[in-house]
Amino acid sequence: MTSVRFSLNGESAEVDVEPRELLLDTLRDRLAAKGAHAGCEQGACGACTVLVDGSGVRSCLMFTVQASGTEVRTIEGVGSPGALHPIQQALSQHHGLQCGFCTPGMVLTALELFETDPHPSRDRIEEWMSGNLCRCTGYVNIVSALESLAGTGEAPS
Amino acid sequence: MKPPRFDYVAVRSVAEATEALAQTEDARILAGGQSLVPLMNLRLARPRLLVDVNGVRDLVGFGGRNGTLRFGAMCRHRFLETDPLVHQKAPIFAETAALIGHVHIRNRGTLGGSIAHADPVAELPALLVALDGRVIASGTGRERAIPAAELFAGPFTTSLDPTELLTAVEVPAHTDGDGGAFSEFVRRHGDFATAGVAVIVHRDASGTCESLRIAGCGLGPTPVDLSAAGEFLLGESELGDGAARELGKRVAAASDPPGDVHGSKDYRRDLAAVLAADAVRRAWQKAGAARRDPGG
Amino acid sequence: MSVAAPPRAPAQTGTRRHEDTRLLCGRGEYLGDVQRPDLKHIAILRSPLAHARIRDVDVSGAMTVPGVIGVFTGAELAADTGEFSHHLPMIPTLRQITWSVLATDKARFVGEPVAAVVADSRYIAEDALELIEVDYEELPAVSDAKAGLEAEAPLLYEDWGDNVFLYMPGAHGDVEAAFADADGELRERFTHHRVSGLPMEGHGALGEFDPSTGRLEMHVSTQVPHTLRTVISDITGLSEAKIRVVAPDMGGGFGNKAHFMREEALVAVLAMRVRHPVVWQQDRTENLLAGLHSREQVHEVEVAYRNDGRVLGLRANFVVDVGSPELYILGCAPAIVTTGVVPNCYDLQDYAFELRCVATNKCPMGGYRGYGQPQGIFLMERVLDLVGERLDIDPVTMRRRNMIPDEPRPYVTATGAVLDTGSFDEQLSELLEAADYDAACGARDEARAEGRLVGVGIAQMVEPTAPNIHALAGRFGGYEMAMLTVQPDGRVNVAVGTKSQGQGHETIYAKVAADVLGISPDDVAVSDGDTAALPYGIGTWGSRSAVMGGGAVIKAARQVRDKMAAIAAGLLEAPADQIEASDGFFRLGEAAIPFGQIAAAAYLHTFLLPPGMDPGLSVVVGYDPGNTSPFPDERGKLNVAATYSTAAAAAVVEVDPATGVVTVSDLTIVHDCGTVIDRVLLDGQIHGAVAQAVGQTFFEEIHYDENGQPQTSTLLDYMIPAFGDVVRPRIVHRETPSELIGGFRGAGEGAIIVTPAALAAAVHDALAPLGVPITQANLSPSRLRELLRAHSTA
Repeated sequence: MTSVRFSLNGESAEVDVEPRELLLDTLRDRLAAKGAHAGCEQGACGACTVLVDGSGVRSCLMFTVQASGTEVRTIEGVGSPGALHPIQQALSQHHGLQCGFCTPGMVLTALELFETDPHPSRDRIEEWMSGNLCRCTGYVNIVSALESLAGTGEAPS
Repeated sequence: MKPPRFDYVAVRSVAEATEALAQTEDARILAGGQSLVPLMNLRLARPRLLVDVNGVRDLVGFGGRNGTLRFGAMCRHRFLETDPLVHQKAPIFAETAALIGHVHIRNRGTLGGSIAHADPVAELPALLVALDGRVIASGTGRERAIPAAELFAGPFTTSLDPTELLTAVEVPAHTDGDGGAFSEFVRRHGDFATAGVAVIVHRDASGTCESLRIAGCGLGPTPVDLSAAGEFLLGESELGDGAARELGKRVAAASDPPGDVHGSKDYRRDLAAVLAADAVRRAWQKAGAARRDPGG
Repeated sequence: MSVAAPPRAPAQTGTRRHEDTRLLCGRGEYLGDVQRPDLKHIAILRSPLAHARIRDVDVSGAMTVPGVIGVFTGAELAADTGEFSHHLPMIPTLRQITWSVLATDKARFVGEPVAAVVADSRYIAEDALELIEVDYEELPAVSDAKAGLEAEAPLLYEDWGDNVFLYMPGAHGDVEAAFADADGELRERFTHHRVSGLPMEGHGALGEFDPSTGRLEMHVSTQVPHTLRTVISDITGLSEAKIRVVAPDMGGGFGNKAHFMREEALVAVLAMRVRHPVVWQQDRTENLLAGLHSREQVHEVEVAYRNDGRVLGLRANFVVDVGSPELYILGCAPAIVTTGVVPNCYDLQDYAFELRCVATNKCPMGGYRGYGQPQGIFLMERVLDLVGERLDIDPVTMRRRNMIPDEPRPYVTATGAVLDTGSFDEQLSELLEAADYDAACGARDEARAEGRLVGVGIAQMVEPTAPNIHALAGRFGGYEMAMLTVQPDGRVNVAVGTKSQGQGHETIYAKVAADVLGISPDDVAVSDGDTAALPYGIGTWGSRSAVMGGGAVIKAARQVRDKMAAIAAGLLEAPADQIEASDGFFRLGEAAIPFGQIAAAAYLHTFLLPPGMDPGLSVVVGYDPGNTSPFPDERGKLNVAATYSTAAAAAVVEVDPATGVVTVSDLTIVHDCGTVIDRVLLDGQIHGAVAQAVGQTFFEEIHYDENGQPQTSTLLDYMIPAFGDVVRPRIVHRETPSELIGGFRGAGEGAIIVTPAALAAAVHDALAPLGVPITQANLSPSRLRELLRAHSTA
């Protein structure tokens, strides 16, 4: 077992884990951050996306020991039921989610997009988001939601 | 699935890394982890020790000296894709890195990791072959350069010794008259290429093709050097549509790709023809443009 | 007790759907999020061989792993658990089999569960799996239906003597006469490849057993919690009164989760054995190897036609690779549906078929959105285009000449479907207008003149929705149940027997209940998927939730509203039938009593109730329109569906002949699911169905090699469409109300049924200059290139 400390959504977290434990499992099973979902554990679907030091990563492809000393941000640190983030609001208004399983990963990936480029074109949105799979929406309304934010000129943060 | 047990050490220097590699059988380097960890999750890779080199300062960075560009092995794809200096000094790296995976794969994945992994469908190994570059490998107390032509031994297999760490990648510096292009066919944005072709052209001040190198991914058990297919263009100063297509044909004929769920051998040959023609057109034009506009 | 000026309904909460807030914040509770103290994890050892006799399973090594609670073999568990069967003894040409939660004597596909480990964590459980030693006697494998039908084929079940799991002939009308009258005959072969529904969340189950009470509580990612409870009762021997099944938030289902997985029953059995809460979460590899596959079929058809384009008769021979037959509900069920929908929206009464469902050493076939219909519709739509091509009659004229006329309704099809639809003729006209069909054909002609391969294609479909499952499951049925309670504070709870997998049922049921009750949907809380909340339910599948669940909710709401109106009538001293419920009030002219005050009267001030009225405002209703049949009649005809939806699609594509890549530049869907509850959510269903149609046509294929070894076990090999790969359809809604409560027809599947046929028609049209006919559903770049290459060398 290795003791690992990192910051989770601004709070300090400390866990004792085997080196093999995936960050995804630590977040979900030890730290109650269940918004990151295991869609494939093959690094192919993006449902487990979290931000590590501001960069999106697949938490199924990162061992918890590697997160030592980092700042991890999950969906739990983005918006809350009383104060949805603009990306979350836009997804709801445009009906950009159905089952919601991929949605936290979508939100975090979009968050990084808007931090990189506040006014992405449709092509840029589709390219950036292309690692996050959704089986319900056909992506149509997710793109519409993100385009609506890109068009407002307000960079969500 | 969940990975099997392993020991883990995060090292701070190349020396620490090579020492760890030397001391444990079945030790593997953990760089970006974007290829290794999925294999571990599937229990197809089962190293006893992971040597995490993400904290090794000597492995990052990029610079040029004496006509050679040197990339630290831990240059992330995203760095190659976005760094202004890379765009200026090694535009083909920026273009190729942008083709790799999705942004979150590129955030983590590394140049050295990709080359050492030697996936026959990966882009950067093919680019290394096309550029006729080399890698620097460090073992305990020694360092050697391995030319691309001697590096790739088979699918997912290199001539690196298990105790060696790939520390840097070196390629000839980009000069006026160079033009490179990487064309690939992916079923979806960010997928591994079904097939890809890199073409590096050098044209002299008069526009004459002085050298032309070609390498492919997805077209054989390793990244393959297909430069021989382009010899008929040496000394030419114009590239007509027919010549580009002819190159495509020759590249396809020279390839011996595998067949799998992503495409049969024939299908990959079909793609090679299309991709080589596209890559040579673009590289040729860039080589010409570079000559006219040294800044570009 | 009356007030004058009723306020407006409460403001919207700011999200479009009731479920959105929790899902957006990562606070949904999917199966993997259900936490229990001391929860143990199950990992399943699966056969690495396609076909093998299991001689021995040695678990002793696995038992020594620290953290392992137990290791279980098929033989051990079979000794004291019930068996699965298909419950269809009434079909004499179906092989009657039983099977257990784990393989016992034989493994019949790669991925079949052979043994199970329960351990402190999934990591440890998987460590232990590696130490289980199975002595397999490898047997030759049957890798597809054709091989399975050969005389010398290896046998999955030796006692059968062959591999034909189901043989089902059907003859309707007088096909011989139709062929005798024909001017010409078309013979064609159509192929459909194997795909996976692939919900982003796989299957999974968590079980807890309390030995002191004998109660078993299951959380299962299932579309059918109540009927699963019945199956769990079969296997465990527990009374249904002792079993509760809860289906939590679901990460998609798409019909895959309308089957009863043996792993779900395994979880129940292990929960009772180990006396810890246990959970099994199907990972992606398991999902692709041993979840469910769908669609793979081969059709050989003979068509009799007249020179005016009229199709007179059709013979079809369906050969279907159903993989391992060990799946309840029957994996042949979609193929049976295929045979039934072939006449589509055309006046074709002379139709005969033979269906052979062949057992092979592959993952069981099962239901996936569309459920056999995309294949049947593909057949008929391709036939019309191919016959039209021979006769030089355009696709629109072919369809108009064969279409079921507007009158009479209902129209009874050859296979017994009692169609209650709107006008197909008008629907087609609306499609042509919305798609600007003539302009699209003109643009195609111009592109073709430039040497580009552009094509335009159309397709239509009629879809049995809200069907009766009895004919395919041997029980259950075509009804639904709902509970509705108005609480003392005027807030409303609804429970239904359907289960949302993401469609937004909380939102739509709240809306339909609120409409009846005259209150805001925000005051209605909907729960689904909990067997403790409702006596029974048939679940969500077959585009039935709006029709059956919606009908049940409306029926319940009407009963409660009528009781509340009676209370209001007493207070206002007026006849109940003059009371209206609207905007949160019960009204009689200018007088109005707030909804909440009536609710309070029913519970808190019961002296206000009319004499003899019982307190409380809660009903449980069952709703069965009563127009479907549980069995085919003696002529093999069956009206399976409570109502029928229709759709038509037009696609414009361009083919790159060098790479085989097809670009869909335009897709128009005209869709008629009766009364629309929520346009935006409905469009979302169509977007998703279109994406899956695009996926199965251009991206997705489950591969096996000739030894039955699967080649697509990751999401890098099995490719579902991503951002940028799908098309934004233009959608036109026709609203022809059904005669059922609410006027609804099914909504979730029409677009996946009609779109593949339209895409194939468009690709066929694009390739017309090359003379390459499209008779296969798989139009992936590599498959299309193979087709072009074969044609150029032929």
